[in-house]
Amino acid sequence: MPPPARIFVIVPAYNEGRVLRASLKPLLGTGYSIVVVDDGSTDNTWRQLASLAVHRVRHPFNLGQGAALQTATSYALEAGAEYILHYDADGQHRVEDIPSLLEPVLRGEADVALGSRFLRRDDLQAVPFSRRLLLKGAVLVNWLLTGLWLSDAHNGFRALSRAAAQKIVLRENGFAHASEILQQIRTHRLRFVERPTRIRYTEYSLHKGQRFWHAFDVLVDLLIKRVFR
Amino acid sequence: MTPIQFLLIFVALAILFLYLRHLRTRLLDRMLLSLLALGAVILVVRPDWATALAQLLGVGRGADLVFYLGLSGLAFLWMGLYSRQREMDVRLTELARRMAIFEGEKPKSKPRKPKAKRP
Repeated sequence: MPPPARIFVIVPAYNEGRVLRASLKPLLGTGYSIVVVDDGSTDNTWRQLASLAVHRVRHPFNLGQGAALQTATSYALEAGAEYILHYDADGQHRVEDIPSLLEPVLRGEADVALGSRFLRRDDLQAVPFSRRLLLKGAVLVNWLLTGLWLSDAHNGFRALSRAAAQKIVLRENGFAHASEILQQIRTHRLRFVERPTRIRYTEYSLHKGQRFWHAFDVLVDLLIKRVFR
Repeated sequence: MTPIQFLLIFVALAILFLYLRHLRTRLLDRMLLSLLALGAVILVVRPDWATALAQLLGVGRGADLVFYLGLSGLAFLWMGLYSRQREMDVRLTELARRMAIFEGEKPKSKPRKPKAKRP
């Protein structure tokens, strides 16, 4: 087990000023290093971070969630991270799930562990029906585009080893990064597992989360990428 | 010569002039554009040549042929511009990222140790 400070939790945040402190609070007591990337927010996100014991990095303008994740990853790797966790800023992930998500990576059994809300019955029941439908559609699209069949799609909760984080380089700045990560897991032949995690759906996270039409954006982004590369 | 011919020739030459004057691109590009402008002027002055060529290719009118070719050319141009745009986006992102990391701030206080009790 490495010292907790070598485990970096990276949190992309775009206009999350209202909830950011509350989302980060449970993380602060864990001893993990926390990197928050303010993705060019126009609200008070940056100031909210000032008094917290977190690394804070700010994009000069909004670039997208994928870009923010990549920035945080580069920062964490330069700061000596041995393990990297992707964590959403809207408070939908649970800190209690981190150890079980990390476990297979810490043990060296996998290079990447992906959170899934479809592995345990009670996690699944926490997912609103319309979301289930949308997510299962995304699972299908991911399979068509990447050849990986997962139980969940676009779950932002992931754990990566340092080597995996160095190999996966995100070029999709927008929301297509979730599929891009899977593509790169495949091209780099990384070992991955899915681990059960609970998503806390709040009115806020449902509102901020990917809306239905985002799915089309993502699809278009990925198709365009196939053409222009 | 009809007024429209004057107008079109003026437009073609104006674009050529602006391009050569203000966009210092590769010699090949400049030659290509000069040839295009020359071709445009010729077709404006002798529309019957365009019609002859069109009929040779199975298109009725010369104007239609010019329209089809022009549209195809524009599509190519658009593709080129779009892929250039994506390249620029990648560079801009990389630049913003380096800047953000360079200016990143470490935690001011040390992260609390696990299970640390507050006074």
